[in-house]
Amino acid sequence: MPLQLAWRILVDQKGRTALATGGIFVAILLIFVELGFFVAVPQGGMLIYDHLRFDLLVCSSKYVFQSQSGQFPRARLAAALTVPEVAQASPLYLGGGKWQAIDGGLRLDIAVIGLDPKAGVFAVPDIERQIDVLDSPDTVLVDGATRSLFGSLETGRVVEIAGRRTTIGGRYKLGTGFLGLGVALASEANFFRMFPGRPLDTVNLGLVRLKPGADPDQAARALRAVLPADTRVFTRPELVAHEVSYWTIRTATGLIFGSGLVVSFVVGIMVLYQTLATQITRQLPQFATLKAIGYSDRYLDGVVLFEAWLIMAVAFVPALAAALAIYALVRSQTLLPLALGVSQLGAVFGITLVMATASAFLSLGGLRRADPAEIF
Amino acid sequence: MTSARAIARFTDTRFVPLALRNLLANKRRLVRSSAGIGFAVLLMLVQLGFERGFFDASLATVRQLDGDLVIMSASKYQFGSADPFPPRYLESATKVAGIASVSPVYASWQEFFWKDPAGDKAYPVQAFAFDPDRPVFLLPEVRAQAARLKEADAVIVDRLARSFLGMASQTGETEINGRKVHVVGSFALGPDFMRDGTVMMSPATFARLLPGNPENAAAMPVEFGIVKIAPGEDAARVQQALRSALPAEIRVLTKPQLVAFERDFQADLSSAGPIFWLGTVVGFVVGMLISYQIIYTDLSDQLPQYATLKGMGYGTPYLVRVVIEQAALSALAGYAPAWLLCLLVYRAIGAVSLLPLHMTWGLTLLSLGLTLGMCLLSAVLAVRRVIAADPAEIF
Repeated sequence: MPLQLAWRILVDQKGRTALATGGIFVAILLIFVELGFFVAVPQGGMLIYDHLRFDLLVCSSKYVFQSQSGQFPRARLAAALTVPEVAQASPLYLGGGKWQAIDGGLRLDIAVIGLDPKAGVFAVPDIERQIDVLDSPDTVLVDGATRSLFGSLETGRVVEIAGRRTTIGGRYKLGTGFLGLGVALASEANFFRMFPGRPLDTVNLGLVRLKPGADPDQAARALRAVLPADTRVFTRPELVAHEVSYWTIRTATGLIFGSGLVVSFVVGIMVLYQTLATQITRQLPQFATLKAIGYSDRYLDGVVLFEAWLIMAVAFVPALAAALAIYALVRSQTLLPLALGVSQLGAVFGITLVMATASAFLSLGGLRRADPAEIF
Repeated sequence: MTSARAIARFTDTRFVPLALRNLLANKRRLVRSSAGIGFAVLLMLVQLGFERGFFDASLATVRQLDGDLVIMSASKYQFGSADPFPPRYLESATKVAGIASVSPVYASWQEFFWKDPAGDKAYPVQAFAFDPDRPVFLLPEVRAQAARLKEADAVIVDRLARSFLGMASQTGETEINGRKVHVVGSFALGPDFMRDGTVMMSPATFARLLPGNPENAAAMPVEFGIVKIAPGEDAARVQQALRSALPAEIRVLTKPQLVAFERDFQADLSSAGPIFWLGTVVGFVVGMLISYQIIYTDLSDQLPQYATLKGMGYGTPYLVRVVIEQAALSALAGYAPAWLLCLLVYRAIGAVSLLPLHMTWGLTLLSLGLTLGMCLLSAVLAVRRVIAADPAEIF
């Protein structure tokens, strides 16, 4: 069995094997981290949507991305309700204002989300628990991830938002996504008091919920047939694709972390190739002997391939553990939703497998030079 | 001549570059080790380049301001967020001694929606307005084309803006905030993570395009006052004089202070810095692992030779020196091709991502230092083998 021989070779040279495993460990870790950022950075743009209850999103045909959504007539929501599959259509308003302490100081940009407190649009326990607070005049809930620059977020603090004295009614835990440095929630009435210039009959986003069992794609088609050309309808998968592609371009994430991924991949091949090539050179007499006693080239190739796979398999588990630790650290430090999905885990494993196989094939050239006649 | 003297003569090895010969002895091995170290170098250079590129992109506009001092609202917390102040403060500023000129800059980051000429969507862009006779930017193309902005509704655009804005063409017509504008020229600035493109115009055009259409352009609130001091005046002294002439809600910064102000904001509030530093550290660790492996292997292969040298009477310090020299040479052999390759990588990634990636002396020295550091550290770790080499064992 080539596997047994490969195992023996590796165990025989523990120091060298440990070194190679360390190298592959770092390469795999690097792949985990780059892929994590690659997936997570554009996800920042989905954070708010991921915590809203809706099956279909109605927005203006001028929609660019969440904070550049454009406005459309509120009457479109009433029209949406005429589609039989639609159970509920709730408006969501987005506005940007300046936040300033009562006694002056920096004028910071804050994103304000206006909503109907009765509609239950946010699937966030913290918000649902405190939603009645929004019924009080000039009162908002603020996201706990609002940056420390904004000062205390204690309940009861009065600040100016968009030039209007506003009371912090509570804090919730969600994250600001890519809406900006700070986010506040307000009821419709309070929202329009803050932004008096905005027409009352337009909304930014329409959150449509379907009746149980309705097919979202079919309902989206029905909705598009009913609504005029000034609106656009997204299903959830369509919205994810749209937002992620926008942020991938805007943040140059694809390139930055994509190129990082390629470099880590090449580094991994380099490290493993280095180990295998050295090992083959050093054990050329042994390999030549094996050849002389009748083992085929394919058998010897198999030994090298198994060596590569074994080293990879041994390095993979600690790399996974270290990656989870780094993900947790980054999550706590940067608010990026770095997480390990099954597909990502599979992708890293696949990449690693290709890496090990490629480096094994690269080093086979040395093996071919094993000539039984030469060594004695 | 006694044998002792003959050996003493051999020990004087100034003229035998042993480390270099060791390195060149096996070309295959040299290519392999240079490639390994080179990739680690490339990894570090790319990460460091991204980190610099990110900051350079977000500071690009600030750095292009043509002034010694900048007047702005004290409550302004970042360059790219509107917080204008009443124009009357600029009048008080002009009266301060030692000032050559004070030019108002009007700016908007959220309120100017540029329509893609080829499509029907509008996107927010960074907009600046200034007196066409006194362009407040250092960009040579802006200075050359500023006079064309006197024409009504004329704008010049950033041709390096993100492609979906359709700003690449130098002339043409489109709409800003639903009003027709003529593109009369372009300049090269580039986007960053917060803004996709930039347009510049005269204050009169700015006033017409601004939502709410202020009647009188001269009465519009001002975002920045760009101050040039008279020749021979001391910037710090004039800054002090301006501060005492203006109320507390106005801040006066020198241009370097404004750049530092914006850099601090970006460094504090964006995740980009830590992400790329993490990448650089990982590159260093990978590089150490690779170079340790290379040096360790080389030493193992050449152990009989080292033992022979020992047997001939060469001392451990000499052998250690050879190992260290060889490590430094390996570092250079890996560094040089990686540095050259990196120029290509910067160019390729810069062209697609529109990040300003440039090789600088600072970057070169920093990465060279890191490369030498990782190779020498590996050599020190691996040199024990040579010290332990026993001449009696090998034969």
